[in-house]
Amino acid sequence: MIQFQLNGKQVSANVRPGTTLLDFLRDKGYFSVKYGSDKGETGADTILVDGNMMNASLMLIHTVSGKNIETVESFAHGQDVHPLQDSFIEEGAIQCGYCTPGMVLAIESLAREKDNPNESDVKDVLAGVYCRCTGYVKPVKAAMNYLATGEPK
Amino acid sequence: MKYFAPKSLEELKDLFLSNHDLNILAGGTDVLPRWQDNPSLKLDVLVDIKKIPELIGIKESETDIKIGALTTVQDLKKSDIIKKHFSSIYEATCQFAGVQIRHRATIAGNICNASPAGDLLPGLYVHNAVIQISGLKGERVVPIHQFITGVGKTILESDEIVVGIVIPKSSIKSLFYKLGLRQSMAISVVNFAIAYEIDENNNWKSLQIAAGSVAPTVIYLKTFTDALFSGSDVDESIQLVDDEISPIDDIRATASYRSKVIKNVLMHIIKEIYVR
Ligand SMILES: Cc1cc2nc3c(=O)[nH]c(=O)nc-3n(C[C@H](O)[C@H](O)[C@H](O)COP(=O)(O)OP(=O)(O)OC[C@H]3O[C@@H](n4cnc5c(N)ncnc54)[C@H](O)[C@@H]3O)c2cc1C
Ligand code: FES
Repeated sequence: MIQFQLNGKQVSANVRPGTTLLDFLRDKGYFSVKYGSDKGETGADTILVDGNMMNASLMLIHTVSGKNIETVESFAHGQDVHPLQDSFIEEGAIQCGYCTPGMVLAIESLAREKDNPNESDVKDVLAGVYCRCTGYVKPVKAAMNYLATGEPK
Repeated sequence: MKYFAPKSLEELKDLFLSNHDLNILAGGTDVLPRWQDNPSLKLDVLVDIKKIPELIGIKESETDIKIGALTTVQDLKKSDIIKKHFSSIYEATCQFAGVQIRHRATIAGNICNASPAGDLLPGLYVHNAVIQISGLKGERVVPIHQFITGVGKTILESDEIVVGIVIPKSSIKSLFYKLGLRQSMAISVVNFAIAYEIDENNNWKSLQIAAGSVAPTVIYLKTFTDALFSGSDVDESIQLVDDEISPIDDIRATASYRSKVIKNVLMHIIKEIYVR
């Protein structure tokens, strides 16, 4: 039995060794964590582990016991979204949205880790999240707006 | 599949005694993609070494720096000690994958995976890193260029693991160069590190170059550096590089491109250092 924190709640998992964290989360209905590829190149599977960005598809569930996992499911409550998500909406930084949960987690982890991050810090954390639609200009703007004020512009 | 997570080197040794063919898992960023390509590799016994405290941490002594096997690329990137003493290694961490992978990928994983394109390797070669190994038969230490013997091959026995990497401190400066097909998240088409000292008369006091993705393992470009060291002109001696490398064609680049690009960039950077 593996135990860890998921979005603030204690969870126990009884799964066979070899199961990835991505498979587990999607099986439990955490659909913000996406399958992009099996090899972590896309970052659609980004989650936070003890506050650090990681790829859920490259982690075995057995390796996360005792850890604190966060997905964007913990950021919004119904229509009531997190200011960073609001900033993405305001800026029009979302097109198909497949990459958006990963981007939001990436920016939030940067916000928590670093005081006054700059644009190159933003680009560094977004580099591991593939976006096929936006061309990154608007996501970077949305991130900068949020990072400067804690709010959308 | 059986999964074990020993909490000390002692517990790991007990596992080595009671099982054959253990598969060591550190960050898993090479192991898991390998399974996806070939599920039959999801072998019987997996040993997660991430819970072994002896393998964690960067320690500085008067003469050297010891990096625990589990130190991640992100830990290296954030370490003031690494940035201060080993610029080439620091620079490699900045160009390594994306942040998600940097949080998982360990230094020992990069070494044991023994890819010719491993980005931490050239810096470790030019700083004369030594690999600390521990196993059922005891401990041993081996210089990195003897530790890695081929593509994906090392001298590690099946009942041994890498516990740490020791790098001597020195006043040598170093830099790292990576050519990928794009700026982030790219496997190196060519990479290299240069470690050097220049004396007050603008002569080389020491010079070592290690290059990746141009041979089955990272290699020292010794003939080239010897020529420079003995005062030969860069433009002439650069041709010697061709005798040392044996690049191949693959999905990222052709052999002839690799040969051209490494010579051009090396020449450019050597001239830059020399003028500085
Ligand atoms: C999307 C993506 C991008 C990447 N980008 C880069 C890049 O830019 N540059 C680069 O160099 N690499 C890159 N890699 C490759 C990989 O991240 C690195 O090689 C990493 O350092 C491997 O470390 P790990 O801890 O994840 O190793 P693991 O996958 O856990 O292990 C790798 C191998 O080493 C063995 N091993 C690990 N630790 C030990 C130990 N202490 N003792 C004995 N054996 C051990 C394992 O058994 C296995 O065979 C990338 C990988 C992915 C998936
Ligand atoms: S919005 Fe479609 S992938 Fe980013």
